[in-house]
Amino acid sequence: MRNIYKLLCVCLVFTVVSCNDAIEIDQPGRLSADNAFQTVADLRGGLLGAYNFLDTTSDMGYTAAFTDESFRGRDNGGQNSNTQNFNINTNSGYAFNIWSGNYGAIGMANRIIAAAEGIDRAEDPTEYDNILGQSYAIRAFSHFKILTYFSTDYTNDAALAGLLLTEPTADIFASVARSTNGEFYDQISADLTAASNLITVDEGFTFMGQDFITALRARMAAYRGQYSLADGFASSLLANYPIANQAQFFAMYDDTDFTEVIFSLERARNDSYDGQGTAGGGWAGSLFAFIDATAGGGPFMEISRSTFNMMNGTTDIRLPRSVNLTESLIDPGYATNDNFLNDDVLLVFKYPGSNGQPLMNDLKEFRSAEMLLIRAEAAADANQLGNAATFVKQLRDARFGSAQPLPVYTDQTEAFGDILDERRLEFLFEGHRWVDLKRLGDRGNRAIDRDDKECSILSGCSLPSNDFRFTLPIPLSETSANTSAEQNPGY
Amino acid sequence: MKLKLTWLMTLFMAFVMQLSFAQEKTVTGTVTTADDGLPLPGASVIVKGTTRGVQTDFDGNYSIKATVGETLVFSYVGMKDTESLVGASNSINVAMQADNALEEVVIQAYRTSTAAKSNIAVTTITSKTVEGRPNASFAQTLQGQVAGLNITTGNGQPGGDSVINLRGVSSLSGNTEPLFIIDGVPVDEDNFRSLNPNDIESLSVLKDAGATAIYGNRGANGVVLIKTRRGSYNSGLKINYTGTTSFSTLQNHDYDLMNSREQLQLEQDFGSGFGATLSDAELALRASQTNTDWLDVFFGTGLTQSHTLNLTSGGENINSFTSFGFTDQEGILKKASSLKRFNFRSNLNGKSSNGKFNYGTSFTFNYSESNEPNSIGSGAINRNFVLGANQSVPYISPASYVPGGGGNIPVVFANTPLFLLDRRDTYTRREDEIKIIANVNASYALTDNLTFRTSFGGDFTDEQLLRVESPISFNAQLFAATGDNTPGFSDQDSRRSVALNFNNSLTWSKVFAEKHSLEVSLFTEYFKAHRRSFGFRQQGFSLATFFPGDGAAFVNDNANDDNYVDTGRATIRNAGLFSYFGFADYDYDSKYGFSATLRRDASYRFAASNRWGTFWSVAGRWNISNEAFMEDSIFNQLKLRASYGTTGNQRIVAVGGQFAYFAAADLTQDFFNTGGQYGGANGLSAGQIGNNDLKWETIIQSNIGLDFALIDNRLRGSFDVYQRNTEDLFIQTPIAPSLNGGVTALAANVGELKNSGFDVELHYDVFKSKDEDGFNLSLNVVGNYNKQEIISLGEGGDQPFIRRVGGVIGEIYAAPYVGVNPANGNLLFLDIDGNLTEDIDTNDQRATGKNIFPDYQGSFGFEADYKNFFLTTQFNYTIGVDRFDFDLQGFLDPTAIGQFRHSRDILRAWSQPGDITDIPSLNATNASDEGLSDRLVRDSDYLRLRFIQFGYNVPKKILDKIGFSSLRAYVSGENLVTWSKWRGFDAEALGAAQNGYPTPKTYSIGIEFGF
Repeated sequence: MRNIYKLLCVCLVFTVVSCNDAIEIDQPGRLSADNAFQTVADLRGGLLGAYNFLDTTSDMGYTAAFTDESFRGRDNGGQNSNTQNFNINTNSGYAFNIWSGNYGAIGMANRIIAAAEGIDRAEDPTEYDNILGQSYAIRAFSHFKILTYFSTDYTNDAALAGLLLTEPTADIFASVARSTNGEFYDQISADLTAASNLITVDEGFTFMGQDFITALRARMAAYRGQYSLADGFASSLLANYPIANQAQFFAMYDDTDFTEVIFSLERARNDSYDGQGTAGGGWAGSLFAFIDATAGGGPFMEISRSTFNMMNGTTDIRLPRSVNLTESLIDPGYATNDNFLNDDVLLVFKYPGSNGQPLMNDLKEFRSAEMLLIRAEAAADANQLGNAATFVKQLRDARFGSAQPLPVYTDQTEAFGDILDERRLEFLFEGHRWVDLKRLGDRGNRAIDRDDKECSILSGCSLPSNDFRFTLPIPLSETSANTSAEQNPGY
Repeated sequence: MKLKLTWLMTLFMAFVMQLSFAQEKTVTGTVTTADDGLPLPGASVIVKGTTRGVQTDFDGNYSIKATVGETLVFSYVGMKDTESLVGASNSINVAMQADNALEEVVIQAYRTSTAAKSNIAVTTITSKTVEGRPNASFAQTLQGQVAGLNITTGNGQPGGDSVINLRGVSSLSGNTEPLFIIDGVPVDEDNFRSLNPNDIESLSVLKDAGATAIYGNRGANGVVLIKTRRGSYNSGLKINYTGTTSFSTLQNHDYDLMNSREQLQLEQDFGSGFGATLSDAELALRASQTNTDWLDVFFGTGLTQSHTLNLTSGGENINSFTSFGFTDQEGILKKASSLKRFNFRSNLNGKSSNGKFNYGTSFTFNYSESNEPNSIGSGAINRNFVLGANQSVPYISPASYVPGGGGNIPVVFANTPLFLLDRRDTYTRREDEIKIIANVNASYALTDNLTFRTSFGGDFTDEQLLRVESPISFNAQLFAATGDNTPGFSDQDSRRSVALNFNNSLTWSKVFAEKHSLEVSLFTEYFKAHRRSFGFRQQGFSLATFFPGDGAAFVNDNANDDNYVDTGRATIRNAGLFSYFGFADYDYDSKYGFSATLRRDASYRFAASNRWGTFWSVAGRWNISNEAFMEDSIFNQLKLRASYGTTGNQRIVAVGGQFAYFAAADLTQDFFNTGGQYGGANGLSAGQIGNNDLKWETIIQSNIGLDFALIDNRLRGSFDVYQRNTEDLFIQTPIAPSLNGGVTALAANVGELKNSGFDVELHYDVFKSKDEDGFNLSLNVVGNYNKQEIISLGEGGDQPFIRRVGGVIGEIYAAPYVGVNPANGNLLFLDIDGNLTEDIDTNDQRATGKNIFPDYQGSFGFEADYKNFFLTTQFNYTIGVDRFDFDLQGFLDPTAIGQFRHSRDILRAWSQPGDITDIPSLNATNASDEGLSDRLVRDSDYLRLRFIQFGYNVPKKILDKIGFSSLRAYVSGENLVTWSKWRGFDAEALGAAQNGYPTPKTYSIGIEFGF
């Protein structure tokens, strides 16, 4: 009996004493937000985390599917069907990826900038400044991406861009209105100035340095229509970054030559994007093929016939670089072949893979060719049509590997039209065409230009560049949480 | 055997005892039933306090040695034990009283009661309905047997997990399944594959707050108490064997799929795919050569063998139950799906000779090996076998696949079945599991009124997962890095979890003035769970020594490339709960009763936000039939019950299986994650956004019920009306991705949900013969109606196209599809304003009120026996289930012509202006809008012959001759017939997955015997 009482006491004491042991449990391996940034090295970790948010495959995939760059391939299992049919709504995965990825980067940049205030710069002043400067650069870049995809009109400072965020979020449930392009441009410029003042180390073209800043300034000025500014930035870069020759151009997309590369996002084995991402978020090449860029690689998006036809039969290096000619099935009679989907298979070859990984390539964001064509646009804008023609010829000479005839423009429309056509080939599958049609389609009298055969399958052949779908919808997940965020017209 | 043993024993005792006790004599007599005076065969007669015992023969006669002054105990199942003192007479005849139905034991939380004195809504089912069924998981067998318990098995994998909901779905993101407690040990409710259903003695489903509030923040979704079999004191050795052999096959579909010729013709006409490249003559030739129904290639008959052997015996102060089971089950997905398991159980009871101290142990050790295919239900043409079975074109022959030649299969969609045949040959996915559930409990009566109890138990699971993609497989070759000649991977994971539960209590009970009885108990409970897992992925194999799971073939990384870099992973998680609670139960003369429970609960999940939760209930009853004025009524029992109370759901994020305890472990905190490489170095990024108001969901439930038995207990049943409101409903509250680094939602306790409805259970003995060989027939009906309504979604309000206040969980949002435009073959819809249109967008989608959860569900059936034959049926039904038929979408998809198989329905497609048809033009320009419409929403209500069994009990007379105590044989069928508008294989499957693994229909034969 006594023993029983003892046992009872032991049991009761055990359960009462051990109560906290069952409730207060810290899971191992957690890094609390308060402890995340203690040293300059932690800031570097944060900076890499911010870079890790940057991904332009959604820009590329969306542009390729929406415009005349690509058409459904032989092994298409429904991929991009909505986008190809201009069926874009607030649930668009591309719109969401662009929105959330860039705001992810902005959020991390803001956290680094805020956390840096509490960290002793003296620990490593150069590194400290360098990290801080790149954080400003990332914030500027992502804000500009948001403006690019979600603003209705780049040249109108009063038009709405996105949310302008320069501090870590204090209230996660807050409702914040969109800022105007003007406010965006001011902040981006200020951030680029800050970045330019802080960055003193060149970490190569996969990190944001002084040349990246200049390139972004050039592109932003061009998009805004501030062409004299743009021309200045572009020409300063062209002094250091020549136009690649044919061999260099071809090798650039194997990630073995970087003559022309001002900035690209590095993609390597075992990084966050090392995997299939048929709608963005993975290997760039997996936007077009499931497995690799060969005949058996499961092509589900192929180069559109209209774009292919522009280059077919020429010595333009962009033809073999855009299309895997040796593996493709080219049916000259495709226009009358009912089975052309199976008989006319034009394999995208711009992202063949690197480091032994098929379809994985760096994402080229700024190349000197863009700077050259910005100069051409600036000349056309200033009605210096001869200069514009010279710039275009300069690029063509390099791409064809021989001197090409000097184009003749009788008016600005022709000049812009020709520049647009050149950009179409030059930046094929690099995420430019949609933006270019939006900003210059009217001036150059160009619109989405699909082949008749493809039109017969799709619900729409073309779309005027003033259509509301040349502005992405603010994603539904944003508007449902943030009621102050005004939706774009048409959605 | 039995006879022989008894005879031997008798001889032995007679010889020894006669030397010692001259006074011993032989007592003989006849045991009859008091009811009808018929002899009672098989009743046990034991000399109290000894192991001496015999059984009555077929005529109810017995003969036993006893001394004057000893007591004989007569017992028989369903009868009250009767004792008789051995006196001068050598003959003792006994008429046994039927055990009053009202005295049936009712299992409740932490105690038992009697039917009359129970205040709660509970349904108990017994081993009779679980035993010998061919379902590897007993949850599947439970389906339709308990009113309000909705069990859906959407997966044909042997032992696959079922979704179990009691009285509606009570949570949006959290766990919605009941707490399962086996022999006092709370267990993982998603993994019963390793447990042997034949060990189960009873399952009790606790439904109302009066029953479950005492489980506090674990009781929200009801509680299922499972007792396994045990021995009884003073009983001889009994050996029982149960064996079944089953054959499972695919259920039928109604998609009217094309044969080879029709499929090729369609391709030729449409101008796409292989058929389009053929001349008419070539087409006819191919069709005559090859016509493969891939359903027959991937699916087939699954054979199941199951054996259970158990032994029970009992002495005066100890008894035991031991069982051994072996099951080998093939899934209907041939060569890819199977379960093999070994079960061992030992349950032991013991007591002190004065009966004050009692103890017991339950221990079960189980080992299972499962081949369980993954990617089922996905669109992966190279991984989902069911996709290959359903959708592969019939003009390709299985002979086109050369074993080992996976790397050479041309990569086009039409070759889907070949990719999958290769995967079936070259891919390994195996789960080996050890599951141990153990409990030890003890009680001591400190005084006549005060008892101390303690119970300590654990649920241990160790799972070894092996996934190997062979280097020669199509998939490995397909995704191989350039220059990697031996691609593929081997993933090996070890996952272990242990959950320990420690409960101590003091119970005080007393009867005052004969009619007032009071019982009060106080408890503490401590729960702790630990999870450890680790694993790695090896890449690179040497072909010469390759064997799945063995490391001999592993190739190390080299300096040339990064093809063979291995990755490792590991996890540590801990979980805990602490509670103290109590109840009081008062009864007056079995006429009125009242009980109350109170529980204080702390969960590790909310330690930093809302540590303690209080849950309580009150319940009362009125036994109307025990009132004087009811004396001459037809009611044998009539009892009105009412209860009201609260329970909690601390598992606010639903994660199934072994890891459920550890999900959402620290949602209150803000985290950063390491990882996210850039530039070859690891980064750091914002991870979790914390919610510092986090708490459990609270379910407030009221219940009014009526239990009744009338017309000599021939009509029995219960009726319960309930309302369950979930407050502090944990929902994904939208947050702006812009402000929160791309995160779109944060879960918070802001909503409210209501489930209301009724449960009904009825049993009616239509014929009840007094003659042993007579005809007996009883009918039973089980039903539940449940209505669900979202009351509040917090400040965020309606979540567009996801859910709305006033709507239901998982509501389908779609624009009405009206038909085909005769002018152009396009699809016609109604836009949001009700106008006919060909062009709809997201904003035209509207709430339909439809979802995948039934309004009405349950079963009905009968049990009949005549002479020694018996027949049992169970028909299950559900009403009010709607879901998307995505399989049908695949069979009607024009863009898949040339790639996949089609339904003959597509031949009705619009082709020229003026055609009136239900299938749009194959070139409809708005085909992509279909996904926004309800065109593929189908009613999935069904009536199913869930179970039928016919068998024969060998009569006692013959058994005695051959030395058996029982012997029966039966044939049974599961899911034999289904009546439904649903065209797919399985109307029951939950959700909308395309190309899922259907549950099979199964024929079994079984034999059971004991001696």
